[in-house]
Amino acid sequence: MGLQPIEFVETKGDIVRNCPGTKHHICCGYKTIDLVEGCILSCSYCILKEYINTPNIKINSDIPYILSQISEAIDAEKTHILRFGTGELSDSLAIDRRYRLNQPLVEFFGETKKAILELKSKWAQIDHLTPFLNPYIVISFSLAPQRIIDKEEKRTSPLYKRLKALRKAQECGCFVGLHLDPVIIYDGFEKDYEYLIGDIGRIIDLKRVLWVSLGLLRFPPKLFNRFLDENRKNLLYGEFVRGEDGKYRYVKKERVRIYGMLYNLLKEQEKDLFIYFCMERKDIWRSVTGMTPEDNEALMGLFDSRIKTLYGGIL
Amino acid sequence: MQTIPIERINMNDRRFCISYPLQDDALLSSIRMEGVIQPLLILDKQPHTIVSGFKRIEAAKELGFTDIPCFVMDMDYKKAMQASIHSNLGRVLNIIEKAYCVDKLFTMDFSEEEISGVMSMISLGFYEKIIKRMRALANAENFVKDFVLQKNMTMQNVEKLLGFADHEIKDITEMLNRIHTTESMMREILQMLSIMKLKYGNIDFSAIKGMNNIYDLKRSLKYSINPILSGLEEDLSEIKNKCALPPSIDIKVDPFFEKEYIDIRIRANGPEEVKGALLKINSILDAGYIRSIFGLTTY
Repeated sequence: MGLQPIEFVETKGDIVRNCPGTKHHICCGYKTIDLVEGCILSCSYCILKEYINTPNIKINSDIPYILSQISEAIDAEKTHILRFGTGELSDSLAIDRRYRLNQPLVEFFGETKKAILELKSKWAQIDHLTPFLNPYIVISFSLAPQRIIDKEEKRTSPLYKRLKALRKAQECGCFVGLHLDPVIIYDGFEKDYEYLIGDIGRIIDLKRVLWVSLGLLRFPPKLFNRFLDENRKNLLYGEFVRGEDGKYRYVKKERVRIYGMLYNLLKEQEKDLFIYFCMERKDIWRSVTGMTPEDNEALMGLFDSRIKTLYGGIL
Repeated sequence: MQTIPIERINMNDRRFCISYPLQDDALLSSIRMEGVIQPLLILDKQPHTIVSGFKRIEAAKELGFTDIPCFVMDMDYKKAMQASIHSNLGRVLNIIEKAYCVDKLFTMDFSEEEISGVMSMISLGFYEKIIKRMRALANAENFVKDFVLQKNMTMQNVEKLLGFADHEIKDITEMLNRIHTTESMMREILQMLSIMKLKYGNIDFSAIKGMNNIYDLKRSLKYSINPILSGLEEDLSEIKNKCALPPSIDIKVDPFFEKEYIDIRIRANGPEEVKGALLKINSILDAGYIRSIFGLTTY
């Protein structure tokens, strides 16, 4: 690991942005902080390979400037409780122990007490952050069956370490987030996900899970040929169509079936879990959950009420 | 220039040969009428090695010539290879001939700079991927080379074809030789075969071997790799057949069954035709066919 050159930059411009989401699908109004651009974990399905043209990892080192942008965004928002994340153009924790990038942000959110910072990762190393963790920080891990981690996320932490890190974060007083994303269809995936959700329920306190996202594998067309060239059997095992946003997705009939299966398995573990879909269509929401957020704004409202339920009056 | 007996020339030594195929009907006719006008270039050693003129000597031998005009030169192998390539640059090289150029330059240990220079002259970028592809093509079996030339394949499709195992390439070329395909159809077929192989570990040729029609072949491959989508298409077609729509009415559904809505188009030449179309639409609505169509896109 760490073979990619690290470059420190002081970007002026929008480092705090709205998550781009995707056309014709419901998105959650997340705010992204481009603290780091590029990722050393190199998961086989990662779309960053298409978006970032350089192998270098860029670290935006002007922390006061970043904090001022976060402050501006919080001050400008009058309706919703903002959720920020550093895991859009990178993994939030993969190089954090070495460069200590998140610590000032973690402290800032703890002092501000007006918004939530989500650290989303596949790298289960949070010990360096535990002295600074506070309720306004959500530690999140992307979770997948170990079989997928072994084949497609080779440089990341094993599943049991991710689950242990989530447990540790909960013991530090944080809420945690779970991201079953990307969910990949392969021979025998149903059983593996059933076991995965069972493990989650055994190790984590599901009452202190702020949100769970479900997202079936989707990717831009260019990655299709790459997967084919690299003989990625797991990634191309399912049946794909081009969505309205131009990305490849599993055929909708399958998406409904699999989301339904995962949704029910999770709800069996804890009926009050807040489960949302990342970049999905309205009719998928309706078929699986019975809810129909009409637009992004409506989904943001669902997040607000979830946060208010768990945080009470402190946010 | 000398006239050399053909038997003193080693026609089997093709280390400098970049021509493919060696049979050339136009050249054969020309030599039959006028003889060999342009002498061969051969090395001054016994038996003589041909540097350039492989097609000419092939034609001359076929026509029963016993002697052939030649320039006999003394030069090392690298110079001879360069001479062979440069003497052919006056014509348009096909993809196999370009592949031979690249492969032979590497085999003879030319420097990267020299290889890059030649590749640029034959309109090839000096990239690892291209070099790998061209060398694989140069070393492919002749039936593959013939197929590539006959179908006028792009480099991208050549790469896809060479990605299959030898026995699969044989089956694929045999199958596609019988079918007229465009470049894009070829790309689509090769892609579907790659997906089938990746998904199931092999290609079931027994199901597709006898097909003589590109559309049947595509349908069969699609059914194999996209069974759900194909099933939805069949269901839609069945419902539409039951609707018995006149040509003036069309119901369009998103080809990927993603969009929740459908489009109903009416072509009418006046109010009466609109009225007739609406009556028809009402009847299929009452019969539950429209609901069945929505059932394919919304869950």
